[in-house]
Amino acid sequence: MVPHPEMPAQNPFVFRECFLMPMPLGQKVVNLRELLQALREVKESVLYYHLIQSRLVLTTPAVEFPNDFALWAAAALQDVKLAEKLSSFDPFDYESLEKVRQAMVDLLEEYLWDSPYVPWARPGFEFHFCEASTVVLRSEIAAQTLREFCESLNKVGLDSLYYHFFEARWRLEMGKVDDFSFWIDSNFELPELVAAIRDIDIYFYSLKEIRDTLLGLIHQHLGELCDRTE
Amino acid sequence: MIGLNDYAPIVGQEVIAQLQRLAERVGPRRFVHINSTRTGGGVAEILSQAVPLLNQLGLEVRWEVIEGDQTFFECTKAIHNALQGHKGEISPDLWEHYRETNRQNARNFTWEADFVLVHDPQPAYLIEDLRPQARHWIWRCHIDVSRPNPKVWRFLQEVVSQYDASVFSMPQFSQNLPHHQYIIRPSIDPLSQKNRDLTPEEVQAVLDRLGVERDKPIVLQVSRFDSFKDPVGVIQAFRLVRRHTPCKLVLAGGEATDDPEGSRIFAEVMEAANGEPDIQVLLLPPDSHHEVNALQRAADVIVQKSTREGFGLTVTEAMWKGKPVIGGAVGGIVLQVRDYNTGFLVHSPEGCALRIRYLLHRPEMARRMGKLAREFVRHHFLITRKLRDYLTLMILEENPHSRLIEL
Repeated sequence: MVPHPEMPAQNPFVFRECFLMPMPLGQKVVNLRELLQALREVKESVLYYHLIQSRLVLTTPAVEFPNDFALWAAAALQDVKLAEKLSSFDPFDYESLEKVRQAMVDLLEEYLWDSPYVPWARPGFEFHFCEASTVVLRSEIAAQTLREFCESLNKVGLDSLYYHFFEARWRLEMGKVDDFSFWIDSNFELPELVAAIRDIDIYFYSLKEIRDTLLGLIHQHLGELCDRTE
Repeated sequence: MIGLNDYAPIVGQEVIAQLQRLAERVGPRRFVHINSTRTGGGVAEILSQAVPLLNQLGLEVRWEVIEGDQTFFECTKAIHNALQGHKGEISPDLWEHYRETNRQNARNFTWEADFVLVHDPQPAYLIEDLRPQARHWIWRCHIDVSRPNPKVWRFLQEVVSQYDASVFSMPQFSQNLPHHQYIIRPSIDPLSQKNRDLTPEEVQAVLDRLGVERDKPIVLQVSRFDSFKDPVGVIQAFRLVRRHTPCKLVLAGGEATDDPEGSRIFAEVMEAANGEPDIQVLLLPPDSHHEVNALQRAADVIVQKSTREGFGLTVTEAMWKGKPVIGGAVGGIVLQVRDYNTGFLVHSPEGCALRIRYLLHRPEMARRMGKLAREFVRHHFLITRKLRDYLTLMILEENPHSRLIEL
């Protein structure tokens, strides 16, 4: 049964805002072999930046290359095959950054082993490593009911979507659980909606598309509840 | 005066509220900006827009400008060029003059501050004398220092190393420094003369004044007459397009009197354009922001076929006007333009011609790409984002040992 739209949750959902500042390390690589070596050594925060945080730093209108390494393979190395492989690499398939690192290293080792040459970046297109610092701030937007939650999803910035949905899947360390589905699961009897949210293939969505998809799913499951969000 | 709330219809009220909340957390910090000119140049333009807005957010912001004689500015121009990769040396006498001018300026500055943001190399040496007057010293480099002249950088590196942090526009410009480095990407002001909305009548009035007829689709490149902007390559591309598709080319550029190469390139452009009535070369005064705005809005396709580029704010401006941009696949243009998405990246005059034809024959596609381009700029390259970055930077510098700060 669909809960009443005004039924209050036990705990309100307080939206947070998230600001990232990229911090370059002053370290660069010029070819795929150097990238492979660097990936073995760089801090985990660097991997995290280029695979996950970069999504918030520069959200293109459509996600063609979902991480910085894939984009570099396409734009700098001009190696479409490698860009395809790196685009298909989904860090959310792994439990820890250490495992992400090993999988990336395996991927690049195999690629280099199979390649007759070492792909090289054009001058000026070297890969520059970054990490990021993050400031997370409680916003003034909170939702007590599902109706308020829908309204708020339309109001908050994309940085909130990144924090509660994209980054949360990593932060919570509970598989595909994110802050939104966790809150809905904890407060309302809506297992199908919760499952549908957790099934969203987020790595290939831009943050705006994630917002639209979430709203679409909630509308699909709750109907009129989310109609009066304008 | 433009107020923070004037940006709400453009970026959304939530972005303004976010800035206000962030500024509340920062508190009434004393924030001093120092550069070397109050008018002219990109940095002065940025500061004249950002300083009043930061004051409105509750910070106590001062904008100080250092003074110097002709020799000082010749020296800093040489430093600037060297940092951009030019060869050549700066004599010990000139270095001493640079230091002495900074010392003289330092004696006039009596303020105390929580944060000082020193823009570019000209005032960088002030820290030697003024260090105790502020808690956090940050060097803001607006220059493309991806391949600096090693000797000149070595001198500046010693100076910059005394700062608490540095800020660059792109990761490619970061350096080996003993402190935190941050990236703050350039931005444009949507309410400035160069970017504000214009009525069709205003656009037409400028076209009439400049003698640009709209009898054919307009292809436009706005840039200085500089070999790295490849205006001759644009003319080659245009000639290839014209074999198949009627259109006209407008090359609009600023006067380049301070650039010895400028007049040579301008002559080359005029020669390449010779005899082609559908090529118009417009030499505009440096303050022609309104004219550039109107030209960009009137254009059907905008080209920035650079062969080297720092960030490429002309690309950002064009995208903000909802135009698909055909850009050279270099520097910051690659960050902004994505094929079939916000425009096209090209590597040759032939590639440029191909994409111009593609867009002229598919106006619906051009509109769709232009719309995406405008949204991309709205999210990433407007001045409100820069204000947010400044505020975030202050919070981070006050918590230098933490990568995650929850407030």
